[in-house]
Amino acid sequence: MPLPLVLHLIDDTTPGGVMRVIDFLTTSPAMSAFARHQVMRVSRGAALPACRADVIVSHLTVNWRALPRLIAFRARHAHLPLVHVEHSYTESFTAQNVPGKGRFFALLRTAYALFDRVVAVSDAQGDWLRSRGLVRASALRVISSTVDLSGFHALPAPRGRARVIGGIGRLHRQKGFDVLINAFRALPGAELELHLYGEGPEKAALQALAGDDPRIFFAGHTDDPETAMRAVDVVAMPSRWEAFGLVALETRAAGRRLICAQVDGLRDSGDGGLFVRGHRTEDWTAALLATLASAPPPRLAPGADSAAADWQAMIAELNCAEAAAA
Amino acid sequence: MPYASIVVPAFNASATLPDTLLSLRSQTFRDMEIVVVDDGSTDETAALVTQLAREDGRIRLVSQGNRGLAGARNSGIHAALGEIVGFCDADDLWMPEKLAAHVEHLARAPHVGLSYSGSALINDAGDRIGHAQRPRLRRVRARHVLTRNPVGNGSAPVLRRAALEALRYRPHYETERDWVFDETFRQSEDIECWLRLCVTTDWSLEGVPGLLTEYRLSAGGLSARTEAQLASWERMVEKLRPEAPALFAAHEEAARAYQLRYLARRAITGGDGAAAQDYLRRAFACSSRPLFEEPLRTGVTAAAALLIARFGTAPLDMARSLRRL
Repeated sequence: MPLPLVLHLIDDTTPGGVMRVIDFLTTSPAMSAFARHQVMRVSRGAALPACRADVIVSHLTVNWRALPRLIAFRARHAHLPLVHVEHSYTESFTAQNVPGKGRFFALLRTAYALFDRVVAVSDAQGDWLRSRGLVRASALRVISSTVDLSGFHALPAPRGRARVIGGIGRLHRQKGFDVLINAFRALPGAELELHLYGEGPEKAALQALAGDDPRIFFAGHTDDPETAMRAVDVVAMPSRWEAFGLVALETRAAGRRLICAQVDGLRDSGDGGLFVRGHRTEDWTAALLATLASAPPPRLAPGADSAAADWQAMIAELNCAEAAAA
Repeated sequence: MPYASIVVPAFNASATLPDTLLSLRSQTFRDMEIVVVDDGSTDETAALVTQLAREDGRIRLVSQGNRGLAGARNSGIHAALGEIVGFCDADDLWMPEKLAAHVEHLARAPHVGLSYSGSALINDAGDRIGHAQRPRLRRVRARHVLTRNPVGNGSAPVLRRAALEALRYRPHYETERDWVFDETFRQSEDIECWLRLCVTTDWSLEGVPGLLTEYRLSAGGLSARTEAQLASWERMVEKLRPEAPALFAAHEEAARAYQLRYLARRAITGGDGAAAQDYLRRAFACSSRPLFEEPLRTGVTAAAALLIARFGTAPLDMARSLRRL
């Protein structure tokens, strides 16, 4: 019997964490062991195509404009198992970006109801989807995102006193690097450095915020995330929302010190990190000071995550149900 | 377990507390408890509550050393057993149908974490003075909470327990229980809490129709603390701005203008026309949005400030006596 064909639909190919997670899902040996994966890029405006596959996985953006397309797609593939992976929406995303929250929840409930399974990418996101009644319990699965971490495991451990703090991610208000720059500027110590890896709409504003502090560097976007990690001793993630903290996972694999905002999926980022409630400058300065003075945490053990096995179980379950129905 | 809890922070409140408690005991929705937090009173407050608790088993007394309003509310929340928790300050009154209205509203609107109503203003004698807070009730966004605080006063809201849970935290130096209200604030603790609910949680705020609270505007202490009030409001802005930079970038100046206009109105009530004019000047220096969004109210405020600065409080007193006829 041939391996089942799993078709992944994506509508946003901006390089970044989500694309790397999708690359892992569709190309890693662990995922290829139980299914053949195909990626189909669809355009945001147009109707979704008719597809042939055993399981279809949506990595699409859910919004009101996309809803008719999703409904039509469901109708066209009435008997195919459909899975949606929610890479974006969280409690804090809603708090920060959604003016009419009741209306937004109505959208999510309607859209998620079209799918046989909805995958949350972190426990915190899963709890939110469940407690808000956005996904029925029988359809919800939590499968933490992951990527190939071998490059991070292979990095030499940081040695000596921590000196370089890194902010890794898009220069967008989501990532909270304004908080990081303000907190860093209040730190004494001429030998300290703050490196920001990424590009984005907030770049000019962040550069203005950094002012003439010679210790702050804007390194731009790097295609090779290990390079950024190699250069830093501490990774700070003052994100305002985050469905899954991929950089936090990579930080732990690389044995770097980690500071996270206590929001959404970042709350699941393990015991080694320091968690900060809120985004006040003085709280983040204190957290930076404490982390710089701390010893590096133990590394995350390789192969600790169960993402591929969880996907395999879900795909098998869906195929069995379909075979029984046929 | 009672379905609803009403938390009553009380500090030296023996003069007004009996009326407040009577209004709460008279609620048509009866599956509830009343948690009175005696915040280190030196008067008869505790004895009075103990006496009333014997008459009505739904009343409970929680005593603590003085922590201030936010601290008293936090202790009340900690002791409360209800699925929903309302607040009524010890000099305000609830209309009999208020709790029922909020229970119904929260049951009907699962995305709403905080339900509030409008309020009628009363004086020291407990008479309605003809002014009311009639806030926006539906489609309430974070910007409305920042600029206009539709919740209005600390005796208006009823919150779902899950929303209180989302707000709950514990500062490292607190040893006894968690905080919902920030106890480092002595004023603006309400708006800080409601706005924090807006920008850090996914709960909505909505109002129900009607003036279901009677909110006492005390004659004493009106004019004196306006600068302190402004300072605490600014501190609230400093605290929450990093949580929602886009919101503050778009609406902070307008919110400040509204805040200054509010202080101007308080100065007018206190009979200080010069101060009122000064606040209005500062308001317009921040933003002209109050003039465009609420031209009538802003215009009347400006006219009253001018009149009082020119002629003293006589015209205002005359207007008041006319209204009483």
